[in-house]
Amino acid sequence: MLTVHDMPNEARVNRIRLFLAALIMLAFSATGALAQERPGADQVLHNWSRMVLELVRHTPTYSPPVASRAFAYLGVTAYEAAAGAGTLVSLAGQLNGLSPAPEREAGAAYDEAVVMQAAMAFGVRNFFGNTGPTGQRAMKAMEARLAEMTAAGLAQDVIARSVAYGEAVGAHVLAWSMEDGGAVVENMGFPFDHALNDKPGAWAPTSLVVQQQAPLLPKWGENRSFAMPTGASCPLPPPPAYSEEAGSEFHAEALAVYETSKALTPEQTAIARFWSDDPMLSPTPPGHWIFIAMDILQAKNADVAERADLLARLGVALADSFIGCWHAKYEYDLIRPVTYIRRVIDPNWQPILITPPFPEYPSGHSTQSGAAAAVLTAHFGAEFAFDDATHEDEGLGVRAYPDFWTAAEEAAMSRLYGGIHFRAAIERGLEQGRCIGAFATALKTVE
Amino acid sequence: MRRTLLALSAAICVAPGANAQAIPSFVEETEASGIDSVFEGEWEYMVGGGVAVFDCSGDGFPDMLLAGGSAPAKFYRNVSEAGGDLRFEAAESGAELDKVAGAYPLDIDGDGITDLVLLRVGENVVLRGLGECRFERANEDWAFEGGDAWSTAFAATWETGADFPTLAIGNYVDRNEQMFPWGSCTDNWLHRPQAGERRFAAPLPLTPSHCALSMLFTDWNRSGTPSLRVSNDREYYKGGQEQLWHVRPGEAPALYTAEEGWQRLRIWGMGIASYDLGFDGYPDYFLTSMADNKLQRLMPFEAGKMLPRYDDIAFAKGVTAHRPYVGGEIQPSTAWHAQFEDVNNDGLVDLFVAKGNVWEMPDFARRDPNNLLIQKPDGTFFEAGDKAGVASMLTGRGAALADFNLDGLVDLVVVNRHDKAQIWRNASADAGRWVQVKVEQDGPNRDAVGAWIEVRRGDVIMRREATSGGGHVSGQTGWWHFGLGDLDAAEIRVIWPDGVEGEWARVAADGFYVLARNSEPVAWTPSDR
Repeated sequence: MLTVHDMPNEARVNRIRLFLAALIMLAFSATGALAQERPGADQVLHNWSRMVLELVRHTPTYSPPVASRAFAYLGVTAYEAAAGAGTLVSLAGQLNGLSPAPEREAGAAYDEAVVMQAAMAFGVRNFFGNTGPTGQRAMKAMEARLAEMTAAGLAQDVIARSVAYGEAVGAHVLAWSMEDGGAVVENMGFPFDHALNDKPGAWAPTSLVVQQQAPLLPKWGENRSFAMPTGASCPLPPPPAYSEEAGSEFHAEALAVYETSKALTPEQTAIARFWSDDPMLSPTPPGHWIFIAMDILQAKNADVAERADLLARLGVALADSFIGCWHAKYEYDLIRPVTYIRRVIDPNWQPILITPPFPEYPSGHSTQSGAAAAVLTAHFGAEFAFDDATHEDEGLGVRAYPDFWTAAEEAAMSRLYGGIHFRAAIERGLEQGRCIGAFATALKTVE
Repeated sequence: MRRTLLALSAAICVAPGANAQAIPSFVEETEASGIDSVFEGEWEYMVGGGVAVFDCSGDGFPDMLLAGGSAPAKFYRNVSEAGGDLRFEAAESGAELDKVAGAYPLDIDGDGITDLVLLRVGENVVLRGLGECRFERANEDWAFEGGDAWSTAFAATWETGADFPTLAIGNYVDRNEQMFPWGSCTDNWLHRPQAGERRFAAPLPLTPSHCALSMLFTDWNRSGTPSLRVSNDREYYKGGQEQLWHVRPGEAPALYTAEEGWQRLRIWGMGIASYDLGFDGYPDYFLTSMADNKLQRLMPFEAGKMLPRYDDIAFAKGVTAHRPYVGGEIQPSTAWHAQFEDVNNDGLVDLFVAKGNVWEMPDFARRDPNNLLIQKPDGTFFEAGDKAGVASMLTGRGAALADFNLDGLVDLVVVNRHDKAQIWRNASADAGRWVQVKVEQDGPNRDAVGAWIEVRRGDVIMRREATSGGGHVSGQTGWWHFGLGDLDAAEIRVIWPDGVEGEWARVAADGFYVLARNSEPVAWTPSDR
């Protein structure tokens, strides 16, 4: 298998630019500066996925769990729209509660780009109906432009039939999503009433933001999962027993975080920042892995079947990760390093990352990175080297990895460097992710 | 001086006033006032909506120019009687341009007549004041390059030795980018004077720029050289954060770095208000955002060094103002203009925050009342917007607190998006006493922008920096107001922009004074109409 590291240098540089190439084409076409080129279903999916990464960042309810849910449902939307052509096996019956999508008219002509455009436009419009005015403007602009471009030169009956079918698939997935427990997010996910646990070692608010005096989405672990049976399907052993005694396992873990923070190398600092993936300032941790997948797919000029397969599978794995991780987080309800260290070790300690407003164990980034690595490794292979340009436009540069598990392990360790997780949450989070990812990799997409 | 100021602050924790916690009473007089202005427009006007407050008629009463967005701006001449109801008359001023997002008054050419800076969606325009509330375009005469951007922030200073001001203009996102506007923040501009001339040089880009919605030249460390604070909207930048710029005479502007102590903060920055709340000689900064707002206080020295590091004390002081407190909505708030003024004259400055949904954002409060946070003697604040009568549910943006009828009580005007601007008269019956001052000096910086005005009240010294900028696209010149509680007199002085400390002078309460450099305070009384 050819990897980006097998490419000549010039080709690697160009690969990084490919991610945005389709968007540039759209922008220029809108001004008439370039001749129009009718996009295929693969580029329609790529462009909408790129838009989704921006909308996740710019829609205030889109914390990482909520973002993962959208990636899953929109991935399934794209997949089922593509599957209607007959080359892919439907995920109906494989994903919890998903019934078969509407069938196409036998013998009638459909255009796959128009189907994909209609399905994704419907899905994005509905999953991001609460985005701000700029997101609304951007969605409308993309929908109008892509609808025009995909319809160019087609018979009206084909357009109408394809649009109707794409929207029907979108509506089908949307209806399926409404009963999963995650469809309504109020107050950006922070409950108005939440009783804090007063046991020793329980999570306590870490922020001076009033909204965050209650933890994020405490019921998320009860949501209907996608490919794994329930949120409890990949359980974890308990974290080290809480203790403030020097020499205890818990104290030792906290001391390790503290001492690491005091001696951070420039590389460790860069890793912490690179994988920080803060909500509303980035595409979030699940969006980071979606970006990696999209970037590789775009570089290899993957066909729509491969893109839909991987984006659906990865989205499902990421969404299941947050359900499983959140299930464990609120089972163990563990204190964050910043609270413990200031209480026991150094009252003035300041980690370099902002501590997320929810319990510590396990690490969400670790769980979802483990699941993502499992899915991507199954798809591209165990020794697939790649460059990660997710944050290139943030000025954080591009990082290179020899394989997906190396990246996942770095993502997990970034939370220790950042001072927001203990080691147990990282290591066991990765293992939980491996377990959860296996459900997604087991989905059958081809006969 | 720095150590002295901090030592003083350590000794003074509480500054009680006789009328502490008195809840002011505001009466809305929009309909009767003659003000009839709506900030109009669609996507390109979702931010902005400012008001400039200044006296251009020479009668001491503040007049105003209200931004109209896609509609023309409107000028209103103040015809109120002293102590009477608020009355304005629309008049042709020459400032009635369309596409105006915000406006700031400033005597740019130092002729003693207020000029105007109009921030626009398109070319920015500077207007020369001609007197009698008439203005004319001066871009060409002053070599001011108005550019073509979505301008949404402003601040001004006079750099040491300069005969002309330095203007900072903040710009928002590239309005021509429809599908992927995020990360397309237009450069902010620094319009410095052309060396040795009374005109502007070509503007310098303040790169990197992160979609500024408020800017303020402020001497945060009392060094004598103001720095440029910029509050940025994280909705649009990539790799951005709040900013503080060194703007040293004769040097290129340079960002404060992490190595210099600057701490990364990323918010939906929309407005800056500053005041020395802690009586320590250094300004605190209130930064408006969505959901929780920030109140920053300078951290104590580290190893004898003053660093631009701030604690967020909003939670502790009760000014997070994160959610509507009346009206039944529980979604987070959206805050815009903020301003510290003492609305009950108890000697403890209060905080007004204009609120309003950006544009049909369902995850944020649609009916989002303005805040009026009253300071208590212990330095914390409590909400009184509803009881005071200013909890409007219209979609607020810019605002100004000013004494429009010169009765010693600070009134309020708020610009609303897609609705009429509202004006309230402060009719508090149990307010304390007050003093208002106007500072003047010879030379180009006539209004002494950058001066510090100090009023001694009992054991404390109230200080405010005479700034030009900040808020949300709204600014004002004229009277600087101080509440005095139950004092019948106060000592007052000015530390002029060049650092020269004026003499302390005793003035009687409940009066207006002109503080001219090297002169005793001169009492001023509004004339009968």
